[in-house]
Amino acid sequence: MPIKTPFFSRTSALCESMQWKEWAGYYAASTYGIPHDAEYFAFRNAAGLLDITPLFKYQVTGPDAAKYLSRIMVRNIEKLKIGRVTYCCWCTEDGKVVDDGTVMRRDENEFFVTSADPCYSWFSRFLRGYDVELEDVSEKISGLALQGPTSRDILKRVCDANLDELSFFGTTKTKGDGFQMFVSRTGYTGDLGYELWVENDHAITLWDALIDAGRDYDIRPAGLTALDVTRVEAGLILKDVDYYNALHCLIDDRMSSPFEISLGWTVNLDRDPFNGQMALRKEKENGSNWAIVGLDISWPEIEMLYNRHGLPPEVGSTAWRDSIPLYTDTSKKVQIGYATSGTWSPILKKNIALATIEKKYERFGSKIQIEMTVEHKRHTVSAEICKPQFFNPERKTCTPKNSQS
Amino acid sequence: MSQKYDAIIIGGGHNGLICAAYLAKAGRKVLVLEKRHVLGGAAVSEELHPGFTFSVASYVVSLFRPHIIRELNLAKHGYEVIPMDCSFLPLPNGDSLARWADPNRSRREIARFSKKDSEVYPEFSRVMTHMGKLAKTVIDHPAPDITSLNPKELKALFRLGKTFKDLGPELLHLNTKLITMSALDFLDLWFESEVLKAPMSVSGIIGTFQGVRSPGTAYVLLHHYMGQLDGAFRSWGFSKGGTGGISIACANAARSFGAEIRTESGVQQVSIKNGKAQGVVLENGDEILAKSVISNLDPNRTYLKMVGEEHLEEDVLKEVNRYKLRGSSGKVNLALDRVPEFSCRPGVGEHLKGDIAIAPSIDYLEKAFDQAKYGEFSTRPYINAVIPSLTDPSVAPPGKHILSCFVQYAPYHIKERAENWPDHREAFGETVIDTMAEYIPGLRDMILYKQVLTPWDLEQKMGLTEGNIFQGELTLEQLLFQRPVSGYAKYKTSIDKLWMCGSGTHPGGGIMGAGGELCAKTMLQSRAV
Amino acid sequence: MSNKYDTIVVGGGHNGLTAATILANHGQKVLLVEKRSIFGGVAAGEEFHPGHWSTGLLQDTGSVRRNVITDLSLEKFGLETNGKRASTAILGKQGKCITISDDETQTAQSINRYSEKDSEAYLTYKNFITKITPFIRDIMDQAPPDLVSMGTGDLWQLAKNGLKLKRLGKATMMEFLKVAPMSVQDFLDERFETDFLKAGMSVPAVQGSFTSPRSAYTTLNLLLWECLSSDEVVGGPQALTSALVKAAQKSGVDLKSDSDVRQVVLDEQRKVKGIRLDNGEEFFANKVAATCAPQEAFFQLLEPNQIEYSLEHGIEHFRSRGTTAKLNLALSKPLRFNGQEDDAMFARTGNSWLEMEKAFDPIKYRNFSSEPILETHNTGKAPEGCATFSILVHYAPFELEGGWTDTARNELTENIIDTLSQYSPEVRDSIVGSELLTPIDLKERYGLPNGHIFHGEHAVDQLLTRPIPSCMQYNTPINGLYLCGSGSHPGGGITCLPGYLGAKRILKT
Repeated sequence: MPIKTPFFSRTSALCESMQWKEWAGYYAASTYGIPHDAEYFAFRNAAGLLDITPLFKYQVTGPDAAKYLSRIMVRNIEKLKIGRVTYCCWCTEDGKVVDDGTVMRRDENEFFVTSADPCYSWFSRFLRGYDVELEDVSEKISGLALQGPTSRDILKRVCDANLDELSFFGTTKTKGDGFQMFVSRTGYTGDLGYELWVENDHAITLWDALIDAGRDYDIRPAGLTALDVTRVEAGLILKDVDYYNALHCLIDDRMSSPFEISLGWTVNLDRDPFNGQMALRKEKENGSNWAIVGLDISWPEIEMLYNRHGLPPEVGSTAWRDSIPLYTDTSKKVQIGYATSGTWSPILKKNIALATIEKKYERFGSKIQIEMTVEHKRHTVSAEICKPQFFNPERKTCTPKNSQS
Repeated sequence: MSQKYDAIIIGGGHNGLICAAYLAKAGRKVLVLEKRHVLGGAAVSEELHPGFTFSVASYVVSLFRPHIIRELNLAKHGYEVIPMDCSFLPLPNGDSLARWADPNRSRREIARFSKKDSEVYPEFSRVMTHMGKLAKTVIDHPAPDITSLNPKELKALFRLGKTFKDLGPELLHLNTKLITMSALDFLDLWFESEVLKAPMSVSGIIGTFQGVRSPGTAYVLLHHYMGQLDGAFRSWGFSKGGTGGISIACANAARSFGAEIRTESGVQQVSIKNGKAQGVVLENGDEILAKSVISNLDPNRTYLKMVGEEHLEEDVLKEVNRYKLRGSSGKVNLALDRVPEFSCRPGVGEHLKGDIAIAPSIDYLEKAFDQAKYGEFSTRPYINAVIPSLTDPSVAPPGKHILSCFVQYAPYHIKERAENWPDHREAFGETVIDTMAEYIPGLRDMILYKQVLTPWDLEQKMGLTEGNIFQGELTLEQLLFQRPVSGYAKYKTSIDKLWMCGSGTHPGGGIMGAGGELCAKTMLQSRAV
Repeated sequence: MSNKYDTIVVGGGHNGLTAATILANHGQKVLLVEKRSIFGGVAAGEEFHPGHWSTGLLQDTGSVRRNVITDLSLEKFGLETNGKRASTAILGKQGKCITISDDETQTAQSINRYSEKDSEAYLTYKNFITKITPFIRDIMDQAPPDLVSMGTGDLWQLAKNGLKLKRLGKATMMEFLKVAPMSVQDFLDERFETDFLKAGMSVPAVQGSFTSPRSAYTTLNLLLWECLSSDEVVGGPQALTSALVKAAQKSGVDLKSDSDVRQVVLDEQRKVKGIRLDNGEEFFANKVAATCAPQEAFFQLLEPNQIEYSLEHGIEHFRSRGTTAKLNLALSKPLRFNGQEDDAMFARTGNSWLEMEKAFDPIKYRNFSSEPILETHNTGKAPEGCATFSILVHYAPFELEGGWTDTARNELTENIIDTLSQYSPEVRDSIVGSELLTPIDLKERYGLPNGHIFHGEHAVDQLLTRPIPSCMQYNTPINGLYLCGSGSHPGGGITCLPGYLGAKRILKT
């Protein structure tokens, strides 16, 4: 049975749809209202407030904290500056991804790590020889994501952080009326937004303050259904959908390296030994087998297919997560991969998807075929391979202080 | 000679009935002879107290081969197993651990004792699934004879070898560990918390005369994982109407194919002429002829009682005599007038609907074992208890319940002599009730009826030699091509036309049905029947 | 003197000395570093009481392999073998004693005093051992097949071993397969009836293992021990060490004692560059042969981030629970055991299954035996008219409940002497000096992990693939680091084979 997050008294009162999902053993609202569109547009036009408490959270402290995390992460954490956050993944010794998440450097010797899967056991395996303390704070710290163009204005009203100076992937400690928290300028929507980390005891105070302050800024609680659309638009991959935790894979074929899931840019190879270094060096040299790409699926062709049946194009308003075969754009269709998640993008007016394809077919701008079932019959429509980032507004990364100067 | 049968099966246990069903389905004329008034052998349900139906001996189902259910259409004949949702471990310090089918719920429970352990389960389970795949290859086929140079045997051996080689060196090594290590050492590879290791390790010792630290006990841990491979998420369950329900379904299936089944027809011996089995002599003196005889009894009974030493060659007799069946467990069945509640987790919750283990620590289990080594029953035994009436209301009157306790250790040779058991029976039962009452306040006052079965009783009542619930120890030297004896491991015996189909044959004990099925299939394939 | 070498051998025990000499004999420039001031490791004799010498921790030199002796020309350096297995007195209470000697007929006669049946059974038993010995020796004397890469050669070797097994003849082969997984108690019960004989015979099967005679697979250990035992070295372990040191010196090995290795130094590609000593001194070589325990090689000599998790996990779970203590006794007069008629260098107690089992039980609960099982060795190194007894004591845990305090040590010593007194009443009064080495002391003195006398238990999964599959060929996942100690095939005991086979493996690269 799932359990409740500290926000449950608020979220359950607001969740009129009664649609819940289980997320890491917690109840998580799928959508507060039906349909979820308002929540999606809150993320893109105003502010959406999402309970992200189910993420796993770890605190790493001690003189060797940076060295220790560098041994685990594919990124060189020793280079991360205080007050900065980095997104990265961590691998097995075979260079296969275990999980991805963010690492925040709160102080010289204090780090905060988030992950999608429970990783305490994995992290603890590398403690030997390091003067650090690893603590699982998942059940002590609550999280909220406040995402959308008005999020900064709302947040300014509830805490004393200098948000005009907090740049993309920056983090700072701050307090408001009756609570203390860490705020990081991060998120899973690809928009301007913040993630807020607060002790459970102060969770409700924070929620109420945000809702109160946000009233004039169109704040709205948002659920996972809306989030899923935004994350596909932003091209952000999801564990157990776009890739799998290598430790849980029954067969090696299901495992992925960072290079294969578009996280190659997070890998710092030339430094002290870290998990997966040897294998990743080799893979860098010999090339990878797979790549995650974006697909822009031809709308005219979809329209044509439906037309044949006398139907208007029917595309769901929610994101999908099925494995859909992909083929070469040749007369003899050869399967070259599979799409793992996709959505109709209300803001781009495009049908987009994230897909895993054989590395040799990763040519941006080239055409492939994707399977599509219309009226119980299988067809294919063409799609263009693009970088896996469809929506990337300037406001996501820009900081008022800097843009003024 | 009109009533001559193609095959007579001695013993109406589940394996005997399954064997009969397969043979009858193939058009053979089959007769099953059961000594008792009820069918099922150790998989039997009996109404021992008005309104209470007890799974007298075997009490949970795990490994029943699913293809047997399909092939014999057992669901149609009443086979129904309700999966168990929880494994509950009450602790003497007032704490407890419940492991659930919901992985996140289990994770949170285990994290109270060890955060690391709470997260390791998926990895453990991944490896065990690979191991289970291998084990499945082994249990679903007759064991290849590695000493033979016959091309067919070599082929089977090669197939097995390939399965092993495909595992890769790490898993291959792990497989060696699994076969040879102690259950505890094997679990140590993954887990650190005793609260987890103690109840998990006991699955390695159930039915054996070994402790959780004894080498060779890790193998049985696998059985928990094989169920998953058969497409069932949870592999342990209760049979509707008690475990006898399974036997009844098997009997119904056999009858539907035309098999004849007689109860209260004990067999005195197999009649053997010129080294060939030609039928059986009943306890009442009647002789029934058949082209083949199949024994569902354990190897000891089959060879030494049904056949008799005079028909055995010296080397066969030697092997039969070295076959080990040291029974180590007993059973206490209680009828209760209400739900037994545990002080460490009060209330009538879902945690009572699964299996309940009294296995609070490794030292506790080892001390229980030590006593058995010296011929005493454990004063604080390992107990695996279930309350089937919470899941299947048909087995007890409304509001009343059954508490069924599997108890280890209770050595067959108590104080040197098994015949002394009747003098110890009462004390043994009291020990079990005392142990349970430490966790269930007021247990004594709830008891409406009690049945205490010592290994001696299991032998007298069910014909399990030395009370061994698996018809022989599950140690490597008595498994595979050596079960029950090398040279006669493929359901054949040293007597022409006499076959075996019980748990004493490959792949061994538990309600699996594989012995009965593989025996029938082997006979049919070789046109022996 | 340059500090560059072809191979650096870490650890100057019998395996280290063997490996260094083989490598040097093949033209390599070799440095051998030893932490202590004496060479020999567990086979180094030491004076523990004026004039009284133990011969090291291990006492039996009956399994030093013939090919090692020949290859290193040890006989040229003073090594003598006496051409037969040393005699062992199997002791029982109430003055019972059977002497097992190299002479089977004589042994059978000795047994015959207690049981005619057993004396016949002994001959049958020995006959079985003789039949399987070539097969067992073949497997133990060669490097294990490489299961990891499984090349054609390795497959062929496996197949050959399989064929050899079949060639034993169906009956012997079936019997071997039947008994190998059995408990030594069941195995001996099937053959013998004399309690103290069975108990004493079973001791080698449980030596160095967390097992009792009723544990499965202990028969395999008994068979391995029986098949590998042969000629005893005259002068015991100490004489062997002395010959090995001479051979190493003669071959040009640089022997460096009192040198504690702090670290094996790797380059950026995690290849071996050399070693650094505790005093900061560095020596360079792109191969290091570690004859210390695998646990020490990986956990003490390398940085934590230099070894991958699977390796760390594998080595961490290489089971090495120390179960043995050692007591050296200086006696004022020669010691005879009750009922002993023939001379015997070794003696074993046990007396009955029940007593052995009772000796085993406490270690499960982190305690030592109140009446331990003893393997005594008359070292012969004592002043005129006196005697020195070196005793292996089973069972004593590494982590004793309450710790190895002086009280605990005294209690164990008392337990041992009390036990011994039941077989030789005058022992107590003739003790002039003693030295107890608990598993903690064994770790301290010899670097044995958890005080385990074989570096790791001889369990089925820790033989052949010893210590773990990725290191079973003496090489390791660390390029240039080799394991050539008792933690490698064929394991502990004074065989010199891990050093010998490991060196051969290094020469192949």
